[in-house]
Amino acid sequence: MELFNNLIFGFSVALSLQNLFYCFIGVLVGTLIGVLPGIGPMATIAMLLPLTFNVPPVAAMIMLAGIYYGAMYGGSTTSILVNLPGETASVVTCIDGYQMARQGRAGAALAIAAIGSFFAGTVCTLLIAFFAPPLAEFALKFSSAEYFSLMLMGLVAAAVLAHGNMVKSLAMVVVGLLLGIVGADVNSGIKRFAFGFYELADGIGVVTIAVGVFAVGEILSNLSDPEERQVFTSKVMNLFPTREDLKRSFGPIVRGTGVGAFFGVLPGTTPAIASFSSYMIEKKLGKDPSRFGQGAIEGVAGPESANNADAQCKFIPMLTLGIPASGTMALMLGALMIYGIAPGPQVMTDKPDLFWGLIASMWIGNVMLLVLNLPLIGMWVRLLKLPYRLLFPAIMAFSAIGIYSVNSSSFDIYLMAIFGVLGIVWRMLDCSPVPMMLGFVLGPMVEENLRRALQVSRGDPSVFVTRPISLAFVVATVLILIVMAAPAVRKLWGAAGASSREGVTE
Amino acid sequence: MKHKVKSLFAMILVCAVALCVGMAAAQSYPTKTVRLIIPFPPGGSNDIVGRFIATKLTERLGKQVVVDNRGGAGGVIGTEAAAKSEPDGYTLLIISSAYAINTSLYKLSYDPVKAFAPIAKLGTGPNVLAVYPGVPVNSVKELIALAKEKPGQLNFASAGVGSFQHLGSELFKSLTGADIGIVQFKGGGPAMIDVIGGHTQAALGSLIQFMPHIKSGKVKALGTGGAKRSVSLPDVPTIAEAGVAGYEANNWWGVLAPAGTPRPIIDRLYKEISAILSSPETQKLFGDQGAEVDKMTPAEFGPYIVVETAKWGKVIKEANIKAE
Repeated sequence: MELFNNLIFGFSVALSLQNLFYCFIGVLVGTLIGVLPGIGPMATIAMLLPLTFNVPPVAAMIMLAGIYYGAMYGGSTTSILVNLPGETASVVTCIDGYQMARQGRAGAALAIAAIGSFFAGTVCTLLIAFFAPPLAEFALKFSSAEYFSLMLMGLVAAAVLAHGNMVKSLAMVVVGLLLGIVGADVNSGIKRFAFGFYELADGIGVVTIAVGVFAVGEILSNLSDPEERQVFTSKVMNLFPTREDLKRSFGPIVRGTGVGAFFGVLPGTTPAIASFSSYMIEKKLGKDPSRFGQGAIEGVAGPESANNADAQCKFIPMLTLGIPASGTMALMLGALMIYGIAPGPQVMTDKPDLFWGLIASMWIGNVMLLVLNLPLIGMWVRLLKLPYRLLFPAIMAFSAIGIYSVNSSSFDIYLMAIFGVLGIVWRMLDCSPVPMMLGFVLGPMVEENLRRALQVSRGDPSVFVTRPISLAFVVATVLILIVMAAPAVRKLWGAAGASSREGVTE
Repeated sequence: MKHKVKSLFAMILVCAVALCVGMAAAQSYPTKTVRLIIPFPPGGSNDIVGRFIATKLTERLGKQVVVDNRGGAGGVIGTEAAAKSEPDGYTLLIISSAYAINTSLYKLSYDPVKAFAPIAKLGTGPNVLAVYPGVPVNSVKELIALAKEKPGQLNFASAGVGSFQHLGSELFKSLTGADIGIVQFKGGGPAMIDVIGGHTQAALGSLIQFMPHIKSGKVKALGTGGAKRSVSLPDVPTIAEAGVAGYEANNWWGVLAPAGTPRPIIDRLYKEISAILSSPETQKLFGDQGAEVDKMTPAEFGPYIVVETAKWGKVIKEANIKAE
């Protein structure tokens, strides 16, 4: 009962005219930067921070939070429309979202992304309000060993993605792992595969690769095939999802929210992991996995819910323990300190207006985002009717500006171009870039946490099975391997049985 | 003789003209937008300090001071960009202790002593020896004793190879001979989380970062790394006081300009920055973050950088740390 009173108090704070205004500004800015590739919520918040010094802390935090989760909404828009991921977490949305757009179903994809995000936002607001402290304590139990076992499970499960040509998929995973190695080694500081470029010392940016392979690659391949260009300009079907779409999306949205909330609470994961995991789960559970990659609405609904849930649940460790779960959260913590508020469990009791006001504002912000995004769908879809000679250069310019803005580095633009060329080469060879992205995202985390866990245990590998949470993931990994191998084994047995019978009849 | 007088006269004339031009430049400076390069991505302490200074300088100079984040390679990329810029006062650079550390870690394309003219040191943020509350020690001496009793079982969480946290830990090990492992994380945040979770036992981390968790009791502060006790933690001894003689590890921030920037412009910038640092608002901003305003003139700041470079160079050499 007290919780409801607290929530009502929170809404009374968040619904003040000033706070509503800052919430709106926040989600609007968030949506815009989400659409622009490269420049992310972290850079935006850093730039806007000095402007908020004269604003009351509650209003300032509401605005900064709005930018953060608003970016997750905006990130999907360009992924779906033109295969251009606006945010790291939206890379997965390109896969099926863009295919839907090509089939004239951009409106349905955009709408389901917004609806899924809204659902996830609502659930996570309630999660924060009711369970934040125990969830944060749970997250603290995760260290290197747990992260390693969790990521290993992810990498093994990634084999699920490998439909079609298994060899090609595995080869692409390896390409991703190799690309992930580039940069300074965490343990020794030695540069690996940087070829003397300082620009490669910190590794290659996920968005640089994704924009190159997906967006630039798509444009190059369109230009090489005059037939395909027409697809962009013709047939745009219904703007909103059909009843069938909604039915199909319901499960993925619920599961995506769960997956996103789980990863969101953990400080050591990135939003891309949540959306990739959700995609893998949907693909595994889907009745017809071959639909994925061909415009399956489940492939948009799940990951988009997951990245929004992840973004919002990243607030749990920050608000309850004062622990930053990501760079952006570290920045928000810094902001709190500048406003003279010491972050930690006492925020809930000392500054109830800030704590509950912020939580309530998140739900209000989600409503605003839905209202902001749904009417825009018509406008976005009309964008696709632009002739390609206008659209393609615009996308290229847009990509280049976004990538450049991250480090003010022209090197990154060249990298993007190189990955554009690689993207079209892979397309010609019929190699899907999705396993590559997965290897790239997960590989460095697997390596880093494996080595760190062994460093802490002084080389004793038993840490992975003696720590209970880690053990659970290891067991799950083994189970996944068995389940995956089972059909193949059965087939092999079947084939062996058949051939032996053949032998008998001969 | 006549010739000599003539050339002397010419020299005086040249000097006078140069002085006049310089003074005129300082009087009219700035006539256009000034760029402040922060050699780190948005979000870290350099960025917070840099953006604050940029905002305040904009007010005082009457021209926009724009922040240009050039992150990468521990600050080397942005510093290189600044070294290559015109020394006209329209490019400035924020530096931190990483500037002194990088000299010994990387093959630099610039000469860290000659490529820049110091303008001002801005502030100092000491490190802190923080331990997980479950570790049965209550002082620096007890921690060292525990490490001797159980060699190779304790670990320090560090923010990455060559970071100020890493070198602070190496310095601690070399002064005490304690057998404590150093576990590297990607940044100070993840390292701190691992200590709060009790997975790594201790860290020599940035006080700025640990402050709220020391106050809430999630970690115990055994000592601070400054020369004096921290104003924010007056009851916690310095690590040197607590028994590690000679230990001092501070992060610090300052402003440089490319070498050859006219003297009057440097003096003007120092005057404005000095006024900014004296304001209560600045002192509060630094204090809230666990840091302190630590003003140095251009004449003091130059030698300070040289001393810091030598100190960390020695630690890096002894610990055999390599980044390339």
